[in-house]
Amino acid sequence: MSAGAPPILIAQDVQKTYGARTALRSLSFSLGRGRVLGFLGPNGAGKTTSIRVLTTILEPSAGRFEVDGIGSDRPVEIRRRIGVLPEGLGFPRNTTGIEYLTFYGQLFGSGSRESRATAIALLADVGLQNRGGSLVGTYSHGMRQRLGIARALVNDPRVLFLDEPTLGLDPRGQQELLTLIQRIARERDTGVVLSSHLLSEIEGICDDVVIMNAGHVVAKGTVAEVIGQSGAPGTGERVVRVRVPATLVATAQSLLDAEPVVVRTTLTDPIAGWLAIETKDDDRPDDGAADRNRLLAALIRADIPIVAVETGRGRLQDVFLQLTAEAIE
Amino acid sequence: MTAPVTAPEDGGIRGASRPIWWLVFVQELKELWVGGRALNLLILFTALMSATSFLLATNSELSLTPPRLMMVVTLQSTMSFGLFLGLIVGAESVSGERERATLEALLLTPAGRRAVVLGKYLAALSPWPVAMALAVPYVVLLAQGDVALGIALVWGAALGTILTIFFTGIGVLASMWSGSTRTSLFVGLLVYLLALLPAQLPGEFQATTAGAVLQALDPLESARQFLNQYLVDGVALDDARLLLVAPILALVAVLIAILGFAAPRLGLDGATISLPRLPTFGRGA
Repeated sequence: MSAGAPPILIAQDVQKTYGARTALRSLSFSLGRGRVLGFLGPNGAGKTTSIRVLTTILEPSAGRFEVDGIGSDRPVEIRRRIGVLPEGLGFPRNTTGIEYLTFYGQLFGSGSRESRATAIALLADVGLQNRGGSLVGTYSHGMRQRLGIARALVNDPRVLFLDEPTLGLDPRGQQELLTLIQRIARERDTGVVLSSHLLSEIEGICDDVVIMNAGHVVAKGTVAEVIGQSGAPGTGERVVRVRVPATLVATAQSLLDAEPVVVRTTLTDPIAGWLAIETKDDDRPDDGAADRNRLLAALIRADIPIVAVETGRGRLQDVFLQLTAEAIE
Repeated sequence: MTAPVTAPEDGGIRGASRPIWWLVFVQELKELWVGGRALNLLILFTALMSATSFLLATNSELSLTPPRLMMVVTLQSTMSFGLFLGLIVGAESVSGERERATLEALLLTPAGRRAVVLGKYLAALSPWPVAMALAVPYVVLLAQGDVALGIALVWGAALGTILTIFFTGIGVLASMWSGSTRTSLFVGLLVYLLALLPAQLPGEFQATTAGAVLQALDPLESARQFLNQYLVDGVALDDARLLLVAPILALVAVLIAILGFAAPRLGLDGATISLPRLPTFGRGA
């Protein structure tokens, strides 16, 4: 974010209702230039509704938002300043990549030559320079997602909305797309709103995060702030996370709970076998290293295989699971 | 990274080299014709016209139908089958985009909804001139040198165009309100069948005042009656022109309904068809 620059996107108490059903309650956040904001939430949390409201596809029932200083009462002006990759976007089959982008460039007010030049440049930017002349119907899913991002960039948007962009992509495709998104934010100074189910990808590339559940915002801030403020098991400073075989988690948990340095042991991921062990804060200068070693030694003595160990700041996934579970309860 | 097109600050479409409706029209034409859908429909049209012409020609050989009547019946068939093509394409024009998830990208541009719909509407009308051109050899063949061939072709093309604009508009309207092409096709087909209904009523009923009113209100039946009366029965144009009122009124009504009412309200979901009207910034809720 440019120093001292005002936020490029501000949402204040945005709400959306369908009759008696409330899909979105009080969405408030801001996004800076060049920053990536992760929109997290389980299915039905209101992520897509939020994006559709903020991109002027849906009318908010209450509240307001601004994009680059343009208020939500001027939807056409907002559309000029945003780029959007909707979830599950379809493409015409009988059009080439260049023709597709040229068409959209023209819809945004550019001349045909200029649009075509932009289309060719954007195809190169997203790694499709060799397929620009091919029919979109022949593109793979990953290539279509890249083309969709290129389409979202034809108007040089101030804010880019990406709704589940990596859905259905293989791990390499996901990684490449995330790298591309990060590059767009940094090099164009574009604010990016990234909706995703994949917590690891959000944690990896996002500067800020908004966690939603059942239409509510349950947490927001930088990734570090959200993890730090959550109080979720496994997210404190004096926490070590240990992964053991799922069949041995109960044995490991009781063993660790019996250790005098342990405050509590929480099973954070029963399927993968992750345990979060919070140790006592005794102000020793080793920052708990000796305690961690003692715990690991105890597991080794009990012949419990240690599959993985994590220390330091907790994982976003733990925060997400706790916050969304609390909201459901 | 390259610097792409910057959205014009003026807030209008002024920088566009071509109007939005034209851009959408060309794009739709490409999908319709290059994709082969229009060609498939025209093959069907040709098959129906061939079958109709064959039956008429057979009747002619038995001296059952005079050439002028055959010519008019062929023109009426051309209109009935040709407008059906527009109805099918129109019924798919918006709901098909919803089903293929391509509509949202269009709505996310600053392009006016009316221009988008107009482009699609015009593209949906595009099979009609081709169908009419394909029908000309059939009409010429069955006219057997009748002197009214020229005027018959002119009136057939004119009335066919009016009816095609109307029925394609019905298809587009249904498509704008519907989330699925199946539903919009059903609605369009229903209207089409209702338009064919007056001609299928018993002759006694058609002869009554109610029957005459029903026929006069039905644009398709009015157009058919006009061709019959003016070209076959020799009724003067001044006397027959009342039959042109229903098709012309229907045309005007459907254009107003689409471009004046429905198009500005085009939304992502078919059932709501609402244009976002956002609250004034700073006013709160």
